[in-house]
Amino acid sequence: MVLSRIRNFSIVAHIDHGKSTLADRLLALTGTMDAKKAVDQVLDSMDLERERGITIKAHTVRLMYRARDGQEYTLNLIDTPGHVDFSYEVSRALAACEGAVLIIDAAQGIEAQTLANFYLASDANLAIIPVVNKIDLPAADVEGTRAQITETLELDGGDALAISAKHGTGVPEVLEAIVARIPPPQGDPDASLKALVFDSFYDSYQGVVVYVRLTDGRVRPGTRILLMSNGRSYDVQQVGVFSPDMRPVEELSAGQVGYITASMKRVADAKVGETITETARPTAVPFPGYRDAKPMVFAGLYSIDDTDYEALRDALEKLRLNDPAFTYEPETSLALGYGFRCGFLGMLHMEIVQERLEREFDLSLIVTAPSVQYKVRTTAGEVLDIDNPSKLPTPDRIEQMDEPYVTSSVLVPTEFMTAIYKLAQEKRGEHRSLEYHGKRVHIRFDFPLAEIVVDFYDRLKSISKGYASFDYELSEFRPSDLVKLDILLNGDPVDALSSIVHRDKAYEKGKALVEKLRAVIPRQLFEVAIQAAIGSRVIARETVKAMGKNVTAKCYGGDITRKRKLLERQKEGKKRMKQVGKVEVPQEAFLSVLKS
Amino acid sequence: MTEGGLTKKRPGSGSADNPFDSFAGSGPADNPYASVLAENPPEADTLGLYVHVPFCTKRCGYCSFNTAPLEEGAMARYLEALHREIDLLGALPWAARVRLATVFVGGGTPSLLAAEDLAAALDGIRARFDVGADAEITVECNPESVTRQKLEGYRAAGVNRLSLGVQSLDDSILPRLGRLHDARGARAAFEAAREAGCANLSVDLMYGLPGLDLDGWTRAVDTVLDWGPDHLSAYGLTLDAGSLWGAAGIEGLPAEQEQIDQYWRLAHAAAAHGLEHYEISNYARPRFRSRHNQIYWHAAEYLAAGPGACGFLGRVRYANVKATPRYCEALADGALPIASAEQLTPRQRLAERLILGLRTADGVPTAWLEPRLDGERDLRRRIETWRAQALLVDTGDRIRLTEAGFLLSDALFVELL
Repeated sequence: MVLSRIRNFSIVAHIDHGKSTLADRLLALTGTMDAKKAVDQVLDSMDLERERGITIKAHTVRLMYRARDGQEYTLNLIDTPGHVDFSYEVSRALAACEGAVLIIDAAQGIEAQTLANFYLASDANLAIIPVVNKIDLPAADVEGTRAQITETLELDGGDALAISAKHGTGVPEVLEAIVARIPPPQGDPDASLKALVFDSFYDSYQGVVVYVRLTDGRVRPGTRILLMSNGRSYDVQQVGVFSPDMRPVEELSAGQVGYITASMKRVADAKVGETITETARPTAVPFPGYRDAKPMVFAGLYSIDDTDYEALRDALEKLRLNDPAFTYEPETSLALGYGFRCGFLGMLHMEIVQERLEREFDLSLIVTAPSVQYKVRTTAGEVLDIDNPSKLPTPDRIEQMDEPYVTSSVLVPTEFMTAIYKLAQEKRGEHRSLEYHGKRVHIRFDFPLAEIVVDFYDRLKSISKGYASFDYELSEFRPSDLVKLDILLNGDPVDALSSIVHRDKAYEKGKALVEKLRAVIPRQLFEVAIQAAIGSRVIARETVKAMGKNVTAKCYGGDITRKRKLLERQKEGKKRMKQVGKVEVPQEAFLSVLKS
Repeated sequence: MTEGGLTKKRPGSGSADNPFDSFAGSGPADNPYASVLAENPPEADTLGLYVHVPFCTKRCGYCSFNTAPLEEGAMARYLEALHREIDLLGALPWAARVRLATVFVGGGTPSLLAAEDLAAALDGIRARFDVGADAEITVECNPESVTRQKLEGYRAAGVNRLSLGVQSLDDSILPRLGRLHDARGARAAFEAAREAGCANLSVDLMYGLPGLDLDGWTRAVDTVLDWGPDHLSAYGLTLDAGSLWGAAGIEGLPAEQEQIDQYWRLAHAAAAHGLEHYEISNYARPRFRSRHNQIYWHAAEYLAAGPGACGFLGRVRYANVKATPRYCEALADGALPIASAEQLTPRQRLAERLILGLRTADGVPTAWLEPRLDGERDLRRRIETWRAQALLVDTGDRIRLTEAGFLLSDALFVELL
């Protein structure tokens, strides 16, 4: 295949600006699949993704397109995840492209993710094709949107294509623009193999399927490949393309996008960002920017039903095959019994893992308050990594505690600046810099990681009406005045509800927490005292009054079945609760720790 | 519950436990439950019979029972269907060997029945079944629909117990409930019943009603107790899903503590008048407990007649078609109008016997319970906990709930499932 007839591109957009609809159109138009089937938006193939309307995994598909110049082109569409938890994955997917189609809703105009995506694509030196979508809407303002493109993105708004992905209007021009405006890949098929891993998944028949973009060389079944980050070698079993299903081909060569299988057992063997080369003649330099996906947030996972422990372990093992970014190891909690300490990239990642465990493995889970990893220097001179508050040494044994900090960027329209600064202050943020970009500002803050992992992103979105975008990177550990905040139910500490907080915020946090718990812990046959304490000092208290009355007066004309079914339904509800000592604590109580 | 749920997913399998589920896919033409009664003879020789009369002049806001509007000709069609149903029940292969110890005519508003219609229905029952000479035969009555003359007719028909739906004696509350009588009418109905010779007379009251405070409740309780009823049912208002109030909501409900106070006020007043609190919602003079309702609470067996009526035979709980027109149609076609049936698992039977038994002051016998607690560690531990919390007492030969336990009974019963 001639490089000049290959185009590798992504489609990027703010949420709901029509990314999946356009992708479906392109698939249909190139005959990759018929329009009817495309209705299901094949690219978002995970149930979870479709329900949440976000792409979690990258996907890729090869389109064969006969352009108006009479030539047939291979267009590789690489779809990208769309959440800040996965920004590393996005950057790797974009690194596999030469160009990006940037969609902007004609009625909404440029929004925060439009900008964030635009910057990511610019950083990756991609050719950008601005596309104004939804021109069929009565509220569409094509010219206004073009003007925004010129002003804000500093692209030529006149070059933007006006389309309706929904009706297909203008979509053929998008295909033409991809051919005309995105440069073909470059590379030397005869040089040493050099391929970038931008995604992978586990298939129970073929082992790990690795998504690659080749910049140099060739790979075919039988090639002995070398993974540069870990030095492992494998024999390639199969190479192929996605059209849209996996289809084996004889060879992938420089500039192409496709997949490799090589009997790898775990997705962790070929991580996103990895450089694949040949064992016989390795390439000199790997791709820049590779990093191990490191969990940032840690939480305990427990099955509500103790007897499901084994099932939970098996499920975690299976999930991990497909998701090397998450880690787990056994732990025990006095309150919850046997479970696992799991590490996640961020909160969305945590929710996804929990949801998949519950849905795909039919488990009912409790997730404990998430924590970041602290460095604790003891008086004995050891340095401990602590990601579980209950493992924190007693204060007399702690010499110093360091907490992880991030450097972060917030992009937001100027009108929201005051609100953003207020939020940053609340979250112990330190202002670093401020730049004006037209009507928007780019603010840099340093934050303690612990302050932003949980609800910062949601709060930011809500105070900025969805316009703010946010990105962060781990920077350093800094000494901090931290204390362990315990929660007691009827006098007994519940280890799974403990958290590590800054001393200045302990009182406020303790108060908020016991209030939250009072609201979610249902009334029981006895009074439940909820206390927040630092060491032996109680700093807040709430009480759940004992249940006063719970009685059905009548059994309707002998309709015992109806009565029993009502009780059975209540019992089903109770299954979502965990018995902690004598107190029944609902699942959401453990989550409330993190949202206060 | 899961057992049943699983069988339902795979029709035809696992039918040993619940043979009826395997019929789940068949159409209405051949009613899968048609032979349920024939195939499940009662274990006991004496049964109760519940007869449902669905008609109401007006439906009350709190009511979630199966009711039907009293349209032109509806009563006649219903009575014809009821006679057919009783004939079909009487023709069951085992019918000849059982005796009916109680007949309870409930509703709806059974007192909408003319005395001769009720007499004809009871005659039909006696023609088909052995009804004991001492059988308890109850009819539920609404105050506005009875006269001394009608009640004399009922008595002549064999009715020996009346249950009067008074509910409230507050003339500002009664219309809100949707009741058609006032306090005076309630009193008049009570007197009419006595004058008609009713020597076993029960009154229904409700507490926790919107607008009802403790003083008002105390007055109602004292007044009714002064009338000297033989039996008193007092129901705390529950907003059922099937009721108007359950669906639309209702304002002015007393606070929880107020409802609790009302419950205790009644319990004390009834005791002072020599009425025994023998079931969560029921009080009686000695020897005047409702024999029919005790059949339910002992998890004993009973037959059902009328739309939506529920029965229990052998290990099978079943229910008739609810909609009155469909009930009539089914019987016109000569079929028993059974709409659903469920065979209880041993665990469900245990749970039901506990839940129903613990509704009563007699509780359940220890000698019956003990062997059944083997291998039920959770259950045993729960019962222990409740005893420690004084929600339950062990009298040596029985365990039963305390008054405090009655108030929280639903929270306890959930744990018994």
